[in-house]
Amino acid sequence: MQYVIIGSSAAGINAIEAIRTKDKTSKIIIISDEKNPLYSRCLISYLLAGTIDGKKIWYKPDSFFKDNKVEALLGIKAEKINIKKKEIAIGNKEKIKFDKLLIATGASPKLEDIPGIDKKGVFPLRTIEHTTEIQSMLDKVKSVAVLGGGLIGLRAAYALKNRGKNVSVFVKSGSILSQIIDKDAAGIMQKRIEERGIKIFTGVAAKEITGAKSVDGVALDNGSKHDCELVIIGKGVSPNVEIAKDAGIKTSWGILANERLRTGVEDIFTAGDVSETNDIALEESSINAIWPAACEQGRIAGLNMTGENETYEGSLAMNSIEFFGLPVISVGITKPKSDRYKEIVKKDAGKNIYKKIVLKDGIIVGVIFVNSIENIGIIGTLIKNKADVTSIKDIMLEDYFDYGKIAPLIKKSKRGFKEPEFKETIMTL
Amino acid sequence: MKKIYCNIKKCLGCGSCEIACAIEHSKSRELNKSIAESPLPVKRRKAEFVEESVSISTGCHHCENAACVTACMSGAMYKDKKTALTQHDKDRCVGCWMCIMTCPFGAVTRLREEKIVLKCDLCPDRDKPACVEACQTKSLFLGTLKEFTKICST
Ligand SMILES: Cc1cc2nc3c(=O)[nH]c(=O)nc-3n(C[C@H](O)[C@H](O)[C@H](O)COP(=O)(O)OP(=O)(O)OC[C@H]3O[C@@H](n4cnc5c(N)ncnc54)[C@H](O)[C@@H]3O)c2cc1C
Repeated sequence: MQYVIIGSSAAGINAIEAIRTKDKTSKIIIISDEKNPLYSRCLISYLLAGTIDGKKIWYKPDSFFKDNKVEALLGIKAEKINIKKKEIAIGNKEKIKFDKLLIATGASPKLEDIPGIDKKGVFPLRTIEHTTEIQSMLDKVKSVAVLGGGLIGLRAAYALKNRGKNVSVFVKSGSILSQIIDKDAAGIMQKRIEERGIKIFTGVAAKEITGAKSVDGVALDNGSKHDCELVIIGKGVSPNVEIAKDAGIKTSWGILANERLRTGVEDIFTAGDVSETNDIALEESSINAIWPAACEQGRIAGLNMTGENETYEGSLAMNSIEFFGLPVISVGITKPKSDRYKEIVKKDAGKNIYKKIVLKDGIIVGVIFVNSIENIGIIGTLIKNKADVTSIKDIMLEDYFDYGKIAPLIKKSKRGFKEPEFKETIMTL
Repeated sequence: MKKIYCNIKKCLGCGSCEIACAIEHSKSRELNKSIAESPLPVKRRKAEFVEESVSISTGCHHCENAACVTACMSGAMYKDKKTALTQHDKDRCVGCWMCIMTCPFGAVTRLREEKIVLKCDLCPDRDKPACVEACQTKSLFLGTLKEFTKICST
């Protein structure tokens, strides 16, 4: 048996660990075009901000590949997959055979098609290398323009503010974090971010990045110009599907995965930001390009590559963000688009608290908690298990809401809460 | 794997487990001294009201497929390879709250200022965790799920 994995981030690393729980001896080869892939991608903005030291960025120790008996081909790109011959062509024209393959190629930042994007001083924020490059030019930077008000754009803005720069964020849509939270929650977050000196301009987009070789500003679609020496592009990501698509593996937005996380081709699996799976709340095929989903998919794909028969229940959108001491967490559908959904809301403006639960037919499909984030995991569990919450509807947003209050639902539930950890409740209540 | 279980039928919600937990995780490990400590010791176990005359004492369940470990972006939350317990290394914690986002039991405590979390460590310095020892109704139990199931049915 020879396992091959393309991509060595969250999904690839968790797949290795899962394979090794079942198969201690077969050969595992991992191909990664990043030279030092064992870092946590989520933490590169923390590194840029200087809020963590260089050690905390490492998700796994240096010895990880050796400890798990993995042959790591680092700094090497997988060029082509031949599904008939079951082999992969890599950078130096060598061929690698596989019995089981995992495609965990992740996602890449969307780079906008605006003039000037290739100038010196324009960066996305996706890899540790981007962080190093941005850091190396910071001495010469006074002002930064961040294009995009999503999670990564704002994390970059926060990081650079922390480094003493003048930071302006340009957000095309009407509010920040619009993929993740609703307008009310965004309003609270925006106020805090602005109070701490980051400028946010909504409803404005960059038309052109100006400068000779290096950036000297951005021209905006409202006719004004903004001077800066650094531009960060935070326009979301798109899945790295090309290698799969070229090989004839079925793709849509991402690589289509079944509930075993297998692709349309026998013996080829997929996990992480590149794979499209069932979204539990939406009940349709989607990509949730988030760390927890990549790790879990990596684990399950890894197990199934060894011949196990693990089912992937699907992913849920979820994000946890904090700016200047103000945290927000959201799970599932937070901005329902039809009146089939009901919302329960609780606000305490003085304390910056905002809590919202989105319901559909008595089942929670989404939640946002701002500032008071405790116990949100319990709500997430109710979403995952599709529990009917009619009986606890009125107390779910109260401060005293906790696990005890859902214990009766768990006992009554027929379809969910299958994990052994719930047995204690089911057995003794 | 040995961990703490609560027999809801026996639990009175008295809170002895909470106090014992906080004291065990204080500097002085004595009630009268620990209440004067700064920062105040933090409990990792909660006695929770379920419904009329029903309570549960709950904390980290050291889940088999722990959602907090999967979600942890820094590697601070991890599975001990030998004991299969869910452990937390506070030196690696960055305070991203991914564990709070995913814990089904609300068993992870956030320390806002320090930007780290705390949870049950099963009292590494003791044979029996402090909460189990302090439980006056013997609803808290240290053992395997099999042992707990057996004891509940007798
Ligand atoms: C700044 C930042 C902050 C984030 N914060 C959060 C957060 O707070 N919470 C959250 O849930 N998620 C967050 N994310 C998203 C999270 O990092 C991703 O969901 C996760 O990294 C996905 O893991 P993956 O293994 O699927 O893919 P990736 O991490 O994208 O890794 C894929 C790897 O495969 C390599 N590769 C691709 N093609 C090839 C090829 N042909 N040959 C060889 N190698 C190849 C890539 O170079 C890369 O190393 C953040 C991301 C960024 C950039």
